[in-house]
Amino acid sequence: MGMVDFWRKPARAATSRVTASDLFGEGFQAKLESLAIVSRRVFAGRMRAERRSKKKGSGVEFADYREYAPGDDFRFVDWNVYQRFGRLLVRLYEEEEDLSIYFIVDCSASMGFGDGRKFDQARRLAAALAYVGLANLDRVAIIGVSDEVVAQVPSARGKGRIFKLLQFLENLETGGATSLADAVATVVAQHKRRGLAVLVSDLYDPAGFERGINVLRYAKFEPYVVHIVDRKDARPALRGDVHLYDCETGDEREVTVTDALLTRMESAYRDHLADIERFCAKSQVPYFAADVDTPFDELVLRVFRRGGFLR
Amino acid sequence: MHFALLSPGALVALFSGVALLTAFLYVLKLRRRPFAVPFSPIWQRVLRDKDASQLFSRLKGLLSLLLQLVLVALLVLSLGDPRPAAGAAEGRSVVVLVDTSASMQATDVLPTRLDGAKAKVEELVQGLGVADRMLIAKMDASVLPLTTMTSEPADLRDGLRHLVATDTRGDLRRALAFAGDALRGAPHPEIVVVSDGALDTENATAGLDLSSTPIRFVPVGKSGKNVAITGFSVRRYPLDASRYEVLLEITNTNDAPADVELTLFGDGNIVDVSRLSLKPNERLPRVYGDLGGASRTLEAKIRLPSGPDDLPADDHAYALMPERRRARVEVVTRGNTYLEAALLLDEYLDVTTVAPSAYRPDGAFDVTIFDGVAPEPPAHGGALYLSLPGAGSAAPGAPGRAERSGPVKVGRALTDFGFDTWDRKSPLLRFMAVENVQIARGHVLVPEKGDHVVGASVAGPILVSGRREGRAFVALGFDPRESDLVLRVAWPLFVLNVIHTFAEEDASYLSAYRTGVPWKIPVTGDGAVAFVKDPLGIRHEVPVQDGRAALFGDRAGFYELSVGDDGQKSLFAANLTDPAESHIEPRKELKLGGKTARPVEGFHAGVRRELWVYLIAALALLSVLEWFSYHRRITV
Repeated sequence: MGMVDFWRKPARAATSRVTASDLFGEGFQAKLESLAIVSRRVFAGRMRAERRSKKKGSGVEFADYREYAPGDDFRFVDWNVYQRFGRLLVRLYEEEEDLSIYFIVDCSASMGFGDGRKFDQARRLAAALAYVGLANLDRVAIIGVSDEVVAQVPSARGKGRIFKLLQFLENLETGGATSLADAVATVVAQHKRRGLAVLVSDLYDPAGFERGINVLRYAKFEPYVVHIVDRKDARPALRGDVHLYDCETGDEREVTVTDALLTRMESAYRDHLADIERFCAKSQVPYFAADVDTPFDELVLRVFRRGGFLR
Repeated sequence: MHFALLSPGALVALFSGVALLTAFLYVLKLRRRPFAVPFSPIWQRVLRDKDASQLFSRLKGLLSLLLQLVLVALLVLSLGDPRPAAGAAEGRSVVVLVDTSASMQATDVLPTRLDGAKAKVEELVQGLGVADRMLIAKMDASVLPLTTMTSEPADLRDGLRHLVATDTRGDLRRALAFAGDALRGAPHPEIVVVSDGALDTENATAGLDLSSTPIRFVPVGKSGKNVAITGFSVRRYPLDASRYEVLLEITNTNDAPADVELTLFGDGNIVDVSRLSLKPNERLPRVYGDLGGASRTLEAKIRLPSGPDDLPADDHAYALMPERRRARVEVVTRGNTYLEAALLLDEYLDVTTVAPSAYRPDGAFDVTIFDGVAPEPPAHGGALYLSLPGAGSAAPGAPGRAERSGPVKVGRALTDFGFDTWDRKSPLLRFMAVENVQIARGHVLVPEKGDHVVGASVAGPILVSGRREGRAFVALGFDPRESDLVLRVAWPLFVLNVIHTFAEEDASYLSAYRTGVPWKIPVTGDGAVAFVKDPLGIRHEVPVQDGRAALFGDRAGFYELSVGDDGQKSLFAANLTDPAESHIEPRKELKLGGKTARPVEGFHAGVRRELWVYLIAALALLSVLEWFSYHRRITV
C-alpha cells in the first residue's frame, strides 16, 4: 500500500451509495411511465420508425445526386438530367430506418466521488431516457465506460426490455480513470450502426472532454451530452493545509486552502462548465447540464423541451 | 544601553541557539491532511495561477520566518533586561520620607493611612523618569532607609512592601537630616515627605542646610476623629503592695465632645469599667485608687459608644506592676521590738533574726540590718546600720577623734538634735516626714568620697548611703530607740524604703516605657546580651551595658526580657501616650522654616524605564499579527 493509497482511505470511507432498490424502485418505475406519456404529448404525431437517417438508401424522399458508377441500379438513373446535360447521375434517397440510441454512461471513479450522487443521477437519467426511447420503439443500448468499455447491454427494442436495462444499470459500479476518447472509440468500433449517442458523464477527462465527443462526431454518430454537475466539486468543505490527490489519477499536490483559493476554484469550475457548453454549441452538439440537486424527472422533461433527443 | 540581567555575549549566544532551533522547526514539513478531489486539473489550473506568484509566496514564507526570528530576538532582548544608559547622571535624586508614625495607622483612609501613603509612593515610582533615582525611607521616631538610591522600580516596590507603621511619633527633623546627608552631592536633589502632617515642624529644618534641596509634600488622610489614652501608669501602695492605684489621662482631640467607655484589665480580667464625658479638646487626668485584683499586668482600653475613632493604636495602653518578690532580710540584733514591728508590716519579707554572735557573713540575704553592731566582714547584700558601734567613746558635744565603725567613721557625739537638712528626692525618705523627729543621742557620721549624705543635723551627717567594695549600705548615726522616730509612721516607711531599695523593688518603678525613645531596662543576671520578645512575638538580641539592656522600642504592649537562653525572664510594658501623635487631623500643607512645601511635580505615570515591558508588548503584538496572518493564510 502506497502513501497515496493510505491517504485515500478516509475519502473512500466517506462514500455512501443509494442502494439499487432505492435507485430504481417502484416509484421510479411509475415516474418512467408518466415520463413516457408526457413525451408522447410533447412529440405528438410522431410515428414509429419515421426518423430519417442520414444514411442514403431506398427511401422515397429525394436526397441528392451522384455520378453513376458501374453496378448502380439503372432504375435510379435520372434520364431527364441525362437528356438535358448528357451526364449519368444517380438519384439518392434518404433511407428510413428505426433509430439506435446509445447511452454511454461514465463509470469512472470521479462519478462515484463523495456520496456517489453523480453516478446515481446519471443512472436515473439514462434509465429514464432509455425508457422513453424504448417506448418510442427505438433501439436502445447502454454502455458503461471509464477509460475503456467496462460493461454494456446490447441494443434492444420495446418497453419490455426496460427491466433488463435497469438491472444492468443497477449492477454498474464506478472505478478507474476517465478516458472518454479511448472508451468512445471502442464503442464506435463495436457499433457499426450509427445513431444517437447520449454521453452521460461529468466530463472529468484529464485528456480533455472534447476528444470523446469528437470521436462520436467524426464517426457520424449524433452526440448528445448530458453533463452531470455537482456544485460541491467546486467548493468542497475544506480549510487549511491539505494534501490533495486526484481520486482517479492519484496526482498529488500540497495546498493550503483558503477562502480566496476556494473562490478561485469556483471561478475555475464555472469556466470549465462554460468551456464545455461553448464547445458543444460550437460543435452543434446538444448539451444539457444535469445538476445532481435537481430531481431527475424534472431534468428529463427539460431534456425533452430542449430538444434533440427525440425528433 | 546596557543589559541588567544577561551580558550581550550571553544574549547573542542565546539568540543564536534559539534562532537555529526556530529555523530548524520552520523548515520541518507539516504533515498535511489528505483530501481527495474528483478532478485535479481544475485545481491545477487554480494553483498554476497561484504559482505565478510563487516568488511572492516564497517571500511571504521568508517573511514568516523573519517574523519568527524577530519574535525570538525580542524575547531574548527582553530576557537581557535592557536599560537605557544615557542620561543617568542627568536625572533627579529623590529621597521619599514615608511617615510611619502611629498616626499613620489611622483608618480614615482605608485600610490605613499608611496604605494610602504607599499608593501615593507607588504613583511616584511609576512616574519616575528614565534617569531618575529614588530612595525610600521610613520616618517615625527613627529613620530607616528601605532601599538604596536606585532607579529600579522593582527594588523600590520591594522596599515599599516593608513599610510598617509603628507606635511612635514621627521625627521629621531627624528624617530631613538623613535625607540631606543622603542627597549631598547628588544631582537635582529632592525630598518628598509623604505624611498626614502630624509632625513637629517647628524646628524641623533648624541647623540643616537644605537650601538647595526642594522639599515636596504629599498629604495623606481625610479626617481626624480621635480620643486617646495619653497617660497611663500604675504603682503599688508601699505599705500594702497587693493594692495599687492607676493614673490615667484621656485626651479628646476633636472639636466636639466625646463620651468614652473606659475598661481596665488586670491580668487579663476586667477590673473596672467606667464612662467618661470629655469636652472638646480636653485632657482628662484620672486617678483610680485602691484597686485590687491584679498582680502583674494592667491594661486600659477606651471605646467610643458612637463608633470607633480613626486611630485605634492609642485606644489601648499597657502597664506592668512591679513584681512582688519576697525579699530575704537578716536582722542582726540583740533585740529590737520597733524594728521587728516595722518588718512585720510587709508580708513579702522573709526575715531571719540572729544574735550578733551567731552572725555568718556568707548568708544569702538581700538585706542585712545591723542593729548596734558592725561585724567584719560585712554582708554580701545591702546593709542597714542602726547606731554604729564605737560611737560611745566620745562624750556628747566633745570633738572626739572619728573612729571607723562599719562602712563609715563615727564622729563626735550629739544630743538633742534632729534632721535639719535631708535629701527630699532620696528614695530612702520617700513618703516620709522627718523634719520634726526628735533625737536624744547620736553621733555624726563621717562620709567618704562618693558617699551620699541623705540626712544631716546642723552638726553633721546623720544618715549616709554609699557603696563599699560593691556593696550598698545605709548608715544611721543614732539608735532609733533614742528618738521619737520609732513612734512615727516614718519609721516603718524608712525601713521598708531601705529594704525595697536594696532589693530593687523600687516604689518609683516605671510601670511603662514610652515608645520611640531608647530604653535601658535593668536586667538580672550576667551576660553581655539580652533577648527581648516584642508584642508581635519577634525576638530581638539587645546589648547589656552596666546591668541594663539597651533597646529602641517602637511597639506598644508587653515585652519579655531574658538574659541567656535559660535566664530569668521579666516583663515590661511600653505605651505610645503621646498627645501630639494622637492629634491626627490631617494637614493639607507642610510648613518648614517659614516655607510651605510644594506638591510633587514631574512624576508622570506611564513612562516606564523597563524596556523589556515594551519588548514583551511588541512581541505580543507581533504574535497576534502572526496568528492573524497565519489563520487568514496571508503568510502561508
